[in-house]
Amino acid sequence: MTANPWIQDVAFPDCENSHVGKICLQMNCNSDCVHILRSIVAVMTARTGMSELQSNRVAIAVDELFANIASHAYDGKPGKVEFECRIDESSDSGGELIIDLRDYASCNWSGCLEEAASRTIDHENPCPGGLGLKLICAVVDECEHTRLPDGNHWRLIFKFNGRTNT
Amino acid sequence: MNVKLTCERIDQDQHTVLLRVSGDVTIHTSPRLREQLKPLFSASMKQIRVALDGVGFMDSSGIATLVEGLQWARMTGGRFVLSGLSENVRDVFELAKLDTVFEIESIPA
Repeated sequence: MTANPWIQDVAFPDCENSHVGKICLQMNCNSDCVHILRSIVAVMTARTGMSELQSNRVAIAVDELFANIASHAYDGKPGKVEFECRIDESSDSGGELIIDLRDYASCNWSGCLEEAASRTIDHENPCPGGLGLKLICAVVDECEHTRLPDGNHWRLIFKFNGRTNT
Repeated sequence: MNVKLTCERIDQDQHTVLLRVSGDVTIHTSPRLREQLKPLFSASMKQIRVALDGVGFMDSSGIATLVEGLQWARMTGGRFVLSGLSENVRDVFELAKLDTVFEIESIPA
C-alpha cells in the first residue's frame, strides 16, 4: 500500500519527553480570534490540572487582554498580535502557566495596573469602563506590562499546584 | 465553546419581555446582544428579563452591555432581571463586584 504523500508522521524528538510544551500563535487582532485563544487556554489549563473555574478565569484574562489590544492599542484596526502560552514546572513551589501577548501598536499603554486592580464600582451608577483590566488583575497571580519601542509586551502568570496532566 | 450568539425574544405581556441568550458573550458577539437589548430600553417597557442559561462564557463586554440594562432600570423605574447564570458567568459578576448590583434570580426563567 502506497503511503499518502500528504499525510506524514511528524516527530518532534526534543519534545517527545515533554508533556507540557508550549503553544505559539501569530494572528491579526480580529475579534473572533478570542475564540481561538480560548481553545488554546482550555488545552493548556487542562494540562496543568486546573479546575474548570480556574480555567475560565485564565480564559477571562486572556480574552480581556486581547480585547484591550484590539480595541485600544490598535483602535479597532488590523494589527499583529503574537501569543505564547507555556507551562513552567521548574520551580519547587509549584507550576506556572505563563502567557505572553505581544502587539506592534504605535501607541504604548500608559495606565497603572495597581489603579486598575483597586478600582471600585459605584453601585449607584455603575460604569463598565476599565472593567476588563480589573478582571485581569483579579484573576492573575502576576501581570506585567513592558513598553517596547515598537509596541507592548504583556505577561500573565497563573500559579498551580501539582504535576501536569498528560 | 460557541462562536455564534443567539437571542430569542419572547414577549410575555405588553410590558414584559424575556430575552433568552445562548452562546458565548465576548467582544466578538456582544454587539449582537446589544442589538437585541437596545430596542427594549423604552419607557413603555416595565420589565426586561434576560435568561442566560445558555451562556457558558461572558467577558466584560457582555457585562458592559448588561450594565446598560441596569441604567435603563434606574432611569425608568423598570426591572432588569438576570437569571440562569452558570457558575463561570456568576464568577465573573462576582470578580467584577457586580453580583450585588444586578437583580439576579437563581432559578431558570
